[in-house]
Amino acid sequence: MTSSPLPAEDLLDLYDAAPCGYVSITPRACIAKINRTLADWVLRSPDELVGESIHDILSFGGKIAFETHLAPMLRLQNEVHEIALDLQNAHGEKIPVIGNAREKRGPSGEHLFTRLTLFKAVERRTFERSLIEAKIRAEERFKTEHDQLELRDQFIAVLGHDLRNPLAAVGAGIRLLGKQPPAERRELILNEMQASISRANDLIDDVLDFAMGRLGTGIQLDYPDQPKLEAMLRQVLHEIQTIAPAHKIVCALDDLDEVECDPDRIGQLASNLLSNAVKYGDRERPIKLESRIEGELLQLSVANHGNPIPEHMHIKLFQPFERGLVTGGAKGLGLGLFIVNEIAIAHGGKMSVSSSDEETRFTLTMPVKKPDAACSMAVN
Amino acid sequence: MEKQDVLVRNNVTLHGKGSRALVFAHGFGCDKHMWTDVSTQFEEDYRTILFDHVGAGESDLTAYDSRKYASLAGYAQDLVEIGEALDLSDAVIVGHSVSSMIGALAAIARPQMFSELVMVGPSPRYIDDGDYTGGFTREQIDELLIFLEENHLGWSAALAPQIMGNADRPELGDRLTKSFCATDPEIAREFAGVTFYSDNREDLPKIPVRTLVLQCQQDIIAPEAVGEYVHAKVPHSEYILLDATGHCPNLSAPEEVTRAIRDFLAPSR
Repeated sequence: MTSSPLPAEDLLDLYDAAPCGYVSITPRACIAKINRTLADWVLRSPDELVGESIHDILSFGGKIAFETHLAPMLRLQNEVHEIALDLQNAHGEKIPVIGNAREKRGPSGEHLFTRLTLFKAVERRTFERSLIEAKIRAEERFKTEHDQLELRDQFIAVLGHDLRNPLAAVGAGIRLLGKQPPAERRELILNEMQASISRANDLIDDVLDFAMGRLGTGIQLDYPDQPKLEAMLRQVLHEIQTIAPAHKIVCALDDLDEVECDPDRIGQLASNLLSNAVKYGDRERPIKLESRIEGELLQLSVANHGNPIPEHMHIKLFQPFERGLVTGGAKGLGLGLFIVNEIAIAHGGKMSVSSSDEETRFTLTMPVKKPDAACSMAVN
Repeated sequence: MEKQDVLVRNNVTLHGKGSRALVFAHGFGCDKHMWTDVSTQFEEDYRTILFDHVGAGESDLTAYDSRKYASLAGYAQDLVEIGEALDLSDAVIVGHSVSSMIGALAAIARPQMFSELVMVGPSPRYIDDGDYTGGFTREQIDELLIFLEENHLGWSAALAPQIMGNADRPELGDRLTKSFCATDPEIAREFAGVTFYSDNREDLPKIPVRTLVLQCQQDIIAPEAVGEYVHAKVPHSEYILLDATGHCPNLSAPEEVTRAIRDFLAPSR
């Protein structure tokens, strides 16, 4: 240890030029004393600030937080630590600070001053802001995943429910057949059982297609040498007409023999669109199945009359589980249009929808020639 | 909702004795403790009821629902539910700041339950609008919300300051075991939005009960012109300009606030 005397600290200078801001304010929020450091931050001089309101060097947000939150807290608990405030300098620019504050009270407890010690906190504020943003992003991601899980649960519930109906119908058929009904009645029961099994099969196909579409592999296509698309469409039409004999379906098909496609899949697409038209369309007016070849592109569309689909629903229609328009008696997993869209995409095409008071029309637009993998987005 | 659940949700505490109940409602930025210096002075001859709005103090934060509390009506509904849970009738609401409007909505809905109203530093609309002077511009309120979004320090319970020596106010002893005015910063921001974007001018003439308007001087949240406006629009109102300054006379001048409320209540009882 050396014996040389320690230099004396200058307390006035320590206050005035401290590496932090000091300010004392009266109960009426007037500045009673302020150090040079703090005055420099707000580009003012200590002399001119004494007597002014603390509000004059706080940002608007800081001012309101001070009056509604900090001032009450100080009254209640005498001091507060680690508070965030924004100062405002003479040019109106904000200076983020953090600080502590304590009330100076007289012998009988009367409030004399509130003393604040403030530190500039620009970098700290940037860091905090990034933390808050990260938190918001994490919460959003969690919510998205949560919503997807919920959707999946709903889907499983609907699938279970929808599969039970055809199974119950088959069960009922078996019981009826056990009672040895007359031949013509037996015929009827067997037909209904067959229809129920088809319905269950369709549901399972939908689920498998959905899983493939969702798993990213997309729907796999099988291009035969002679697709015979027109014959396929007429067969689909016939099936739908059998299910819904009351509906009138008019058909205007171009010569489709040159179209390269997976006819089973395009048939499935048409079948989904037609059964939707039967479910949701006006029963009194005809459904239209139309095709047109224009240059390199095939357009295949199904149109029906009835209540239009609101504009805001259009973008959601091709997402899975959308059944916003289900009316009495209509059933399904809400996968039909999702699969339709997947089939269109697999063919290098796309689906579109237009809906007005006059008609609702779903249109597949796809290339007539099988696209190269690299050009499969040509239509888009 | 069960009565007990309401009382827990809003952290309701009961003190005092007497036939009449005073319900104290705190405003934005703090919690029920801001009323203690006033409410304790009524305990001799009134039942005093203090509570935290959902989202503030020690209320049940899990009961906070952004949709329900997207307007002051959600808070007023809670006040009525507290009244029902405690079977109140002919009670007095004493509301500070935004809670004077919340109290007004409750009195409009249930004038038998809440038959008199004390509004401390009320403002039916903070933003200027044509001839109306609220004291703020929309841009300023926008700025406030951004400030609250970016400045969580000083709000959250997790950062509650340690209570240091408090020898000069020993009567606060047991109150100081916890922090005051702490709340979830997100909820504070939403409450600020609901408060400072609110417009309840249309409700003022509908207040059917005797009303006392207590106005502070130099209050940057609710200026004198606003207090006078409230007095002019509320049919059965009395107006007192306090000597107290700032926005929280219940903390800075509890005796003066107590006296004014006593004088207001005395004539009818």
